[in-house]
Amino acid sequence: MSPRLLRVELTRLRWRRAVILLVLLAVAIPAFIGAAQAWSTRPVSDDEIAQVAREHAGEIDRCTERPRQYGMPKGVSEQRCTDLIVGWYTGREPLSLAQQRNGGSGMAVVAVLTALLLLAGTTFAGHDWNSGSMSNQLLFEPRRRRVWTAKALAVTVVALVTATVVSAAYWLAMWAVMRARDLPIRDGALTDSLAFGLRGAAFAAAAALGGYALTMLLRSTVGTIGVLFAVSVAGGVIVAVLGLSEHWQPQKNVSAIVKNGTTYWVQPPPSCEGRPIRADDTECRGERELSVWDGTGYYGTALVLTAGASLVSFRRRDVP
Amino acid sequence: MSELVIEASGLRKEYRTRRGLRVAVDDLDLAVPRGGVHGFLGPNGSGKTTTIRMLLGLSRATAGRMRLFGEEVPRRLPHVVDRVGAVVESPKFSPNFSGHQNLTLLARSIGVPSERVAAAVDTVGLTGRDRDRYKSYSLGMKQRLAIAATLLKEPDLLILDEPTNGLDPAGIREIRDTIRGLGESGVTVLLSSHILAEVQQVCTSATIIGQGRLLASGKVEDLVGASTAYRVGVPNAEAAARVLTAAGFTVRDGDGLVVDTDRPAAVTETLGAAGIWLDELTPVRRDLEAAFLELTAGTELGGDR
Repeated sequence: MSPRLLRVELTRLRWRRAVILLVLLAVAIPAFIGAAQAWSTRPVSDDEIAQVAREHAGEIDRCTERPRQYGMPKGVSEQRCTDLIVGWYTGREPLSLAQQRNGGSGMAVVAVLTALLLLAGTTFAGHDWNSGSMSNQLLFEPRRRRVWTAKALAVTVVALVTATVVSAAYWLAMWAVMRARDLPIRDGALTDSLAFGLRGAAFAAAAALGGYALTMLLRSTVGTIGVLFAVSVAGGVIVAVLGLSEHWQPQKNVSAIVKNGTTYWVQPPPSCEGRPIRADDTECRGERELSVWDGTGYYGTALVLTAGASLVSFRRRDVP
Repeated sequence: MSELVIEASGLRKEYRTRRGLRVAVDDLDLAVPRGGVHGFLGPNGSGKTTTIRMLLGLSRATAGRMRLFGEEVPRRLPHVVDRVGAVVESPKFSPNFSGHQNLTLLARSIGVPSERVAAAVDTVGLTGRDRDRYKSYSLGMKQRLAIAATLLKEPDLLILDEPTNGLDPAGIREIRDTIRGLGESGVTVLLSSHILAEVQQVCTSATIIGQGRLLASGKVEDLVGASTAYRVGVPNAEAAARVLTAAGFTVRDGDGLVVDTDRPAAVTETLGAAGIWLDELTPVRRDLEAAFLELTAGTELGGDR
């Protein structure tokens, strides 16, 4: 690898407006998601309580008069009915790092980073082919493996740095909001969240490299986006049609990587039928563990195959 | 070290198409000596661009051997590429970058100092427009930028594929002067062109190919051939024609009365003896166009290979 070529490719990336736009979106959209999460989990203010009580005064009266209809004991105070009705209409769960990781915005941020950085890798390579400037570059550096590697490294480094910074900032911001709201934070919750973000960032960087490699293979941005779209739509369908277990579902494997393992469901064997199932009997419960290494193997194999085919093709095929 | 800057022997390029195998270059031999401007002529689709692309490692030869500065290519191309500047087909740069940015990236990739970018831009007359986006350039400006890119390396060999395409007459003349100057300064220039006058004006030697095969190669004056005809200017052309025909000369109508002979003194003697005095006796030179058309007669036209 030539450090000089790497610097050139990093400059080329920096000068590409489409890449800059995608990187800015990769910062802005998670920031928006974070702001939306902070807003939707904000504590209920006295003003809000007063406003809801005013707007739903009739319902509070009905609750006081016929409390059983509202699941309340007879003779309940108006204050308890007010708390109940206000809770219905302002019901917001407090911010929780664990909840954001497991079912909240964490995966959304990873998905956004992955999609945008994959597009950045794709458009970076596609531009060289679409403009025909690849042949010009090879007139100055004909060692194609070096050229391919320098571009791949540039894409991966930029994607990894962007995704890591954005992810770390996201989880630190969530943690800071919780601290500001005096919410209880479990020991190690921030570390777990940062690790979640780091795994997500690594996945997004790998996706950027994959997008780059596929575009270098297909020599077309549109072709790559078409293939990725087809795979994302048809991939799950094919797995289902072939009768393969969820182990092979693309989304399950992403979850396994980012969440440091996940579970998937399989049909329990016939011997389990009609017998009581214990909580620890995973065989009969139909639950299986998909580890982070399973997910890494799944996507790692795809990445290595794509990158290998891309490099071999780039070294051997004529350049237009 | 070899005195030939470019050597190719038995060069062949096949493409697999839906209609079957297509041979773009067929057993081509090419030899370009050091120094001077060497023309590379052929009709559209004759394999000129394909040959250049193979020499530069952009395209893989199906068979044959190639050398640049005595080094086998494409295997040893990295060792000589810094000595080779090239423009292949139309200029190809990133459209959203400025001319300066495009050149800067190329210069940095080979460790050339940025000052040379400004010098190259200045040489091709793009100073003042080099900070504009490439996509806003006219075709002529794009050609100039491509030539500027070749100058970044200060090459010993310059391969130019139709470099005056899209240039206005002043630009064409400027580029021709530049090419001629480079040739005189010791740089070897391979000039692929379909403009025969350009090759005849600028080149010292030339190779003519057709249907991917070598048709002729050598010094331009050898390809044009020695003059074997003379235009005869006399007051009475009809009478002169009769006299010359009777004396055994082959006479034909050309631009005036033309006699095929390699003995001009005999023409004056014969006509003088008949009392016909000459106003003019001018050698009629075959130009490169005639030689080219003669050599490529019957070669099919198509898209440039």
